[in-house]
Amino acid sequence: MSDKDISQGGCPFSPARRRLLAGAGAGAAGGLLAAGAAQARQAAGGDAQQVTDAPVGDARVRSSYPFHGKHQQGILTPRPEAGMVAAFDVLADDRAGLERLFRTLTERIAFLTQGGPVPRLDPRLPPPDSGILGPDVSPDGLTVTVSVGDSLFDERYGLAPLKPARLSRMTGFPNDALDASLCHGDLLLQFCAHTPDTNIHALRDIVKNLPDLLALRWKQEGSVPVLAAQPGRPHESARNFLGFRDGTANPDANDARLMDELVWVQPGGGEPAWTAGGSYQAVRIIRNFVERWDRTPLQEQEAIIGRRKDTGAPMDGREEFDEPSYQGDDEGKVTPLDAHIRLANPRTAGSQANLILRRPFNYSNGVTKSGQLEMGLLFICYQADLERGFITVQKRLDGEPLEEYIKPIGGGYFFVLPGARDRQDYLGRPLLRAAAALKT
Amino acid sequence: MPNRILRRSLCLAAILAAAPAAHAEVSPLDLVGPIADYKIYVSEQLQALADGTRAFTEAIKAGDLERAQALYAPTRLPYEASEPMAELFSDLDSAIDSRADDHEQAEKDPGFTGFHRLEYGLFAQQSTEGLAPYADKLMNDVLDLQKRVEGLTFPPEKVVGGAAALMEEVAATKVSGEEDRYSHTDLWDFQGNVDGARKIVELLRPLIAKEDEAFARKVDDNFDTVEAILAKYRKDDGFLTYDHVSDSDRRKLVGPVNTLAEDLSTLRGKLGLN
Repeated sequence: MSDKDISQGGCPFSPARRRLLAGAGAGAAGGLLAAGAAQARQAAGGDAQQVTDAPVGDARVRSSYPFHGKHQQGILTPRPEAGMVAAFDVLADDRAGLERLFRTLTERIAFLTQGGPVPRLDPRLPPPDSGILGPDVSPDGLTVTVSVGDSLFDERYGLAPLKPARLSRMTGFPNDALDASLCHGDLLLQFCAHTPDTNIHALRDIVKNLPDLLALRWKQEGSVPVLAAQPGRPHESARNFLGFRDGTANPDANDARLMDELVWVQPGGGEPAWTAGGSYQAVRIIRNFVERWDRTPLQEQEAIIGRRKDTGAPMDGREEFDEPSYQGDDEGKVTPLDAHIRLANPRTAGSQANLILRRPFNYSNGVTKSGQLEMGLLFICYQADLERGFITVQKRLDGEPLEEYIKPIGGGYFFVLPGARDRQDYLGRPLLRAAAALKT
Repeated sequence: MPNRILRRSLCLAAILAAAPAAHAEVSPLDLVGPIADYKIYVSEQLQALADGTRAFTEAIKAGDLERAQALYAPTRLPYEASEPMAELFSDLDSAIDSRADDHEQAEKDPGFTGFHRLEYGLFAQQSTEGLAPYADKLMNDVLDLQKRVEGLTFPPEKVVGGAAALMEEVAATKVSGEEDRYSHTDLWDFQGNVDGARKIVELLRPLIAKEDEAFARKVDDNFDTVEAILAKYRKDDGFLTYDHVSDSDRRKLVGPVNTLAEDLSTLRGKLGLN
């Protein structure tokens, strides 16, 4: 079906005449409207807001994170309000195509995250930019994080010997109901910014610039609730769609040594050398049965999670960041033994190595066939060792009481490429250089 | 006289200063020949459509299910090939080629007519029963379309833009296999869209090559890739059903199809059309 509408024969187009009529009409009507709006503004004192005025943000709209560095942004970077992940099939025929993909991605991300004016072309051509952020793109704190999936290391590009040692294709856990159309991918892009439109703009830019090299598989958007500033009070973790604060026990992202230990792959060890500076990423689309959850008594919700709902404090604490102590609570009388936080992080000497850096978003997608809300958690976490991190933690959670209220339906495991160091470097270069050095 | 020339060149200079021009002036006259040839092509396609529709609808009215099923896909192909012109008449395009999900009540919607309504009866319900009124309406609509297109002066921007429009069709509905959901004969439509797009590019190729030879070659290559994949699924005079297309081939089609849609979207600009 189309937008054209000529219901009778004959030549409908007398282009010159049409243009004249359209021009005259639009000019006259547009002029009137403009005059009307201008008058209204003047009458209202000039500064009065109109209903369709763009909401005005703060300085963060113009803020940006440096693109070049040892690690990619979007991992230790403070999580902003809007997130999105998009998974792709890579369509390159060979390694040369793969290099063009990584170089173009690097170039687009470098532009999108720093912002600037978009080029102007002959108006008879489609514009090079969607225009949704206007002619001068504001960076809006955008980060785009590139990671690759297990399938990129299949036979197509001869990269199998270089596959990160812990990278695998995600397999379902007992409570999962994975939907194949929401799983896996050769490549994943994580977009984070202060407004969802900035993420969408970046995705559309990349889709438009790489039609022959990337095919979109699935995408999921998410958000983080914004809090009013409370000067003098400690930061709070954001709440998820179960209404609980989420991320309280995250390792300190400002502790560089800890991050080297828990998040970033280090040179040496069992990993291919090119992976140093990268990180393993687990993405899970976890549906929450929110109607049912909202019909669950508060004390039961708190027992299932292991925290107070209002403050986020552990069952034996007063404030969110009080550390729960399970010593002396062997029977789980204070914090049930199968509470989510106790299973996920038992806080033993041994479980320290299993800490992961969580960076999730809440998602809301519409309505199920049963008329229930389709929403939940776009879970994203980072770790230096996928098996020691997410997989171990999730295995401990298998069978937890929370499972009655959640259902993982999609996602995948990916490896975040090391950062692009400078203008000469590009994302994926260490991998492709290592590939070129392989004996064939 | 000199005054007018001066004014024209000033005007041109102003345009050139405003933004870089995409093209090196293709004269509107250069398009006359290709567009006349394209009209002949579309007329032939619509004649084939009318002939095919006659045989197809007669089989339905005769209650010959098997023959009607066999004629469904080949009858549609010329419609898909000439769609840029056919869909200029949106009332007929809807009556002839709308899909169930274009209608609020889907298959039960009284406004759901045309090829896909007949496809639903023949393949999902496996019967010709009750289809005669839809068959008659399709025949009349096709003849009406033929008449209207005959009297139409082809707008150059619609012809040139038609190549991209056809590839947009392929990208939006053919790769997924959702066009012919009851018969799974999508590959015929796929081929029809590609034929139609390629015909337009072929007729304009000398002009395109004059503007940008590398671009013309890239477009040719992508068409070749798509056609080579389609050819793998040819059977007898037609195609296997879409469920035979492997996941890896579906994936291989996406790149060249999207790239053709992206590249051909610049064709009007490249040829200096507004």
